[in-house]
Amino acid sequence: MRRFKPSSQALTQIAGAVVLAFLVMPIFAVVPASFNQASFIKIPPEELSLQWYSAFIEDRGWMSSLFNSIRVALLTTAIALVIGTLAALGVERLPKRMRPFVIGAVLSPLIVPVIMISIALYYVTRSIGLYGTVTGLALSHALICVPFVLLNVSVSLQRLDPNLARAASGLGARPGYVFRTVTLPAIWPGVASGGAFAFVLSFDEVVISLFIAGYGAKTLPVKLWEQIRVEFTPVAAVGSTLILTFTVVLFILTRLSARKRNSAAEGSQ
Amino acid sequence: MTRVETTHAWRGHDQRLGRAAMTFLLFLPALIFLAVWFVWPLGQLILLSFQGEDGAFAAYQEILTSEVFRIVFFNTLKLAVLVTIICTILAYPAAWLLTRVKGFWFSIALYCILVPFWISILVRTFSWMLLLERSGPVNNFLITLGVTDQPLKLLFNDLGVYIGMVHVLLPYAVLPIYSSMLKIDQRLLLASDSLGASGRTTFFKIFLPLTLPGVTAGATFVFLLALGFYITPALLGGPHNLTAAMLIDSFVNERLVWPLAAAASVILLVIVLVVLAVTSRFVSLGSSVVVK
Repeated sequence: MRRFKPSSQALTQIAGAVVLAFLVMPIFAVVPASFNQASFIKIPPEELSLQWYSAFIEDRGWMSSLFNSIRVALLTTAIALVIGTLAALGVERLPKRMRPFVIGAVLSPLIVPVIMISIALYYVTRSIGLYGTVTGLALSHALICVPFVLLNVSVSLQRLDPNLARAASGLGARPGYVFRTVTLPAIWPGVASGGAFAFVLSFDEVVISLFIAGYGAKTLPVKLWEQIRVEFTPVAAVGSTLILTFTVVLFILTRLSARKRNSAAEGSQ
Repeated sequence: MTRVETTHAWRGHDQRLGRAAMTFLLFLPALIFLAVWFVWPLGQLILLSFQGEDGAFAAYQEILTSEVFRIVFFNTLKLAVLVTIICTILAYPAAWLLTRVKGFWFSIALYCILVPFWISILVRTFSWMLLLERSGPVNNFLITLGVTDQPLKLLFNDLGVYIGMVHVLLPYAVLPIYSSMLKIDQRLLLASDSLGASGRTTFFKIFLPLTLPGVTAGATFVFLLALGFYITPALLGGPHNLTAAMLIDSFVNERLVWPLAAAASVILLVIVLVVLAVTSRFVSLGSSVVVK
């Protein structure tokens, strides 16, 4: 089959490959910079050293921002998982024609520009005393995480055969027992990937945090932002590398569990 | 046996009522959360935009008539449009490559799109700052190649903003275009081919039109995200690369003029809603979101 000329096909493929390389290659520039020996940033470094990592660990500001980030991300994940999973279970019980409206309502925080959400929450959290607190920041992050939990759990719910739950209750199981033994194990992969998504979104989030975190809940991205607006230091590259590591590890974990899930599904067929 | 009987007795009217109540209970946390933490704050902000010192519409009037604000809004729109065009053009061959490769290379290509989705925008922007610096690797490379004899200014100007924004927003354009390419019925291309159409004709008359829904969806995502962008232009741009989001930030944090900040963000939201209303008439944006 001829269809498109081989030469133009090859050219397009090369162009595509260049674009993909452009997407991925630059991301990891901060990693070599963090192992630099010199006190200024140089890529690639002439001599490798871990001294900026120890500088990071000894700096109370950087370390407390790292712990704040973990605290906020964990609380965000918990809030988003509860709200998003319950809503996904609710969507599944609605008539098909009503679903798009309800899903649209839950997804609507993603449509509003982040800067608008940020200043609105800044205004409100100050008036109710949640400005600069881990709770206030986690609730704000949950706003953009709930939609992703809902979507992830909904995908697993659609794969679940409703007859299973019906059979269980027909055999006399109470609703709570059906949920624990049939529904929850089946949607668990969706809950897990939704949770991983929520954690990463919160851990990476900058704009809302810049407005809500204050001094009390200053996260790693906020600290990093403040630092690189002034100067590029190797310690900032260490902070970036840590954010990158958290994300990549979670990404690999969700991919591995997705692969396990797929091979399990193929095996049962 | 008694248990089965009770379940039967439970069916009918009562059960339907119980079912509806149960469904409502499942939505209750989301409902309360969105009402208190989304609708109420946005409502407060919208109210605030009408509380200028000189009348209800004073803030809007000041923004729409002031030369400075008009320039900033125009620059933001121009930036968003150009970034959208560049992203769409670059995304097209990348999406096509995804449909052509199989197995191991497909996984690699797909991860090239998915990994950037997960990685912090701040870290990606910081990476570009290090790469584009005066003595950074990009300048060193250009000097070694002999393109230039002294370092070029790649940072804190338009060029830096465009490189960074395109890099951050490109994945949002690739995925919808890729999914529209997957949906194309290969027999149409075969038919066009066997009827004697040239490769060029088949591409422009069959392939490209069939991918337009994906292109529209991708372009819309990129445009809307670019419109409210803050981090990347603030770090990679110079003093005159002010965007609407940075303007709103300065209203809140430097000039402490809340009605102006509120009014500017309401204007931004209206632009977003208008764009969404127009594009959703042509393509189903929802089905492109789920691909993610």
